[in-house]
Amino acid sequence: MHGVGSSTGGEINMAEMTPRERIMAVSHKKRADKLPFLHWWRHSQVGRAERECRNRGMGMCWQRPPYTMRMHGVDMTETQVLSSGEVVIRRTYSTPVGSVYLDEKSEPGVGQWHALRSWRDVLPWQTERLIKGPEDYKVLKYMVENTEYLPYYFPVEQAMDWLGDDGVVVDSLPHSPMQMLMIDWIGSEGGRFFIHHAKYPDLVEDLYKAISKSREPLYEIVAKSPAPITNFGDNIDGVLVNPKLFQKYFMPEYEKQAKVLHEHGKLMAVHMDGRVGVLKDLIAKTPIDIVEALHSPPMGDLPIGEALSLWKDKVIWTGFPGSVYILGPEAVKKHALSLLREIGSGDRLVVEMSTENLVSNENLLMLTSVLENADLPLTKEKIDGIERSLARS
Amino acid sequence: MVKEKYLASLKESIVNLDFKAVVEAAKEAMDAGIDPHTAITDGMVPGMTVVGEKFERGEYFLSELVVAGEVMKEGLKIINPYIKQDSSERLGKVVIATVEGDNHDLGKNIVTTLLGVHGFEVVDLGKDVPMDKIVDAVKEYKPEILGLSALLTVTMPEMGKVIEALKVASLRERVKVIVGGSPVTSEFAKSIGADHCAVNAAEGVRKCTEWVAPREVK
Repeated sequence: MHGVGSSTGGEINMAEMTPRERIMAVSHKKRADKLPFLHWWRHSQVGRAERECRNRGMGMCWQRPPYTMRMHGVDMTETQVLSSGEVVIRRTYSTPVGSVYLDEKSEPGVGQWHALRSWRDVLPWQTERLIKGPEDYKVLKYMVENTEYLPYYFPVEQAMDWLGDDGVVVDSLPHSPMQMLMIDWIGSEGGRFFIHHAKYPDLVEDLYKAISKSREPLYEIVAKSPAPITNFGDNIDGVLVNPKLFQKYFMPEYEKQAKVLHEHGKLMAVHMDGRVGVLKDLIAKTPIDIVEALHSPPMGDLPIGEALSLWKDKVIWTGFPGSVYILGPEAVKKHALSLLREIGSGDRLVVEMSTENLVSNENLLMLTSVLENADLPLTKEKIDGIERSLARS
Repeated sequence: MVKEKYLASLKESIVNLDFKAVVEAAKEAMDAGIDPHTAITDGMVPGMTVVGEKFERGEYFLSELVVAGEVMKEGLKIINPYIKQDSSERLGKVVIATVEGDNHDLGKNIVTTLLGVHGFEVVDLGKDVPMDKIVDAVKEYKPEILGLSALLTVTMPEMGKVIEALKVASLRERVKVIVGGSPVTSEFAKSIGADHCAVNAAEGVRKCTEWVAPREVK
């Protein structure tokens, strides 16, 4: 078993790569000493298993915003109200052209832990969306057109300083324009977005264009942040974002974003944690550098091996499926070994321990046991060796 | 206009996802004295069938499936007042819910729409539904089938808890349980004692129909 070396600067010693060096080498399509695996800070239980796994090579990844935003001419108030028999937080935005509100429900833990997550690691969810009817679009458009983005690199610099060579820090950004409408402002419950898109195409299109334009200064700000990678948290799922929508509304935006980031030498990642099989040919045509959170079956519908073959100019950060974790450590071992056997040499791949939920100590330790000795390039003999050593332990 | 043309207009309005056309076609059909049941079963349902076929062939996507269901609802608003509903004509009864802690209902709603189209009576309990409420609904409505949906891996275990609660209430043997949702696998469904894991909405509805097949499909 290899130990985890520390960065000494200068030339990289392949036998002594740090988690950060591994992740960055692979993200730049270079070969690392081992298959990088990382845990997202926001999903990581801090404790004995996490410490042990980090000591055995698991990297960490922090996502932090490099900007602040303010809305001009918009008043926002929050009240606690009873809605349909439930206590929710109502957030009302008042503008000169009208008001909109959303209702939000939270599980215990929100505000008491981190990243707005509950004790079960679930974000608050909206029970009423900002856009309820056609009359609300003009209010949102006013809010969008009066939003100012300002650079604020402290959160990124702080995390980079704290993390050092233990992992990487990536910029976080809001959902891209159409995704803001689909899953934030109109919502997908009951197919609401699709119905709005069919009934009020002009209103949807007009607001999409306004958001897209308002984001241009933000992309410039992000491009200058010290983080080496920018992650667009788009939660792409081909079932919701069908190929027609992806081609019309997402690909042009990704091209715009990538152009600015690439001019500043930064990598562009997009969070695609859904079933993207139907989008695979279109994704190949995007300038995205890292397809982040790609989930293999049974959670996703595109095998990682196939995705690596198809997207030869891209790196994949694959999310380990929560639907495997739920079956326990033996299922984790089986799935992880199967993953190793389908990814060829193992290049252009980073494994994320989870992109959505907390992972139990037992599952985290088991996945680490499989991945810690995945020396690159992978071979059948090496994987057989890992499997044998696990059978003995 | 002959009867077939009215029915064809209803069908086309749904296949073309046309909100205005379906209202016009429904009004014209009712004004012409077309039997409302015929307008639905021989006009609108064939339209939804075509949409479903296009969906399965990959020509239409979820968006079209949702919008087609919505277009049909617009047409039904015109036609329904002409109908005297007879519950004995229903294929079967389904209670359906997204489990507690989960606010996702897109898949569930599509299944609900398709079940309705295929002649099921559906009691939709909504989303984020507590276990006790689901068990009470099974007790009260006596459905042949219970549908449970979850999109989050943290809420998937709630489906197992509901099944356990049905056992405790001696209701499990009375009802088939079908589960679904993006992260839900057949292996998981089996582990919690569900009867079936729906691969998608259309397949789930086929399974429900198969379960009640001895009864005549309307």
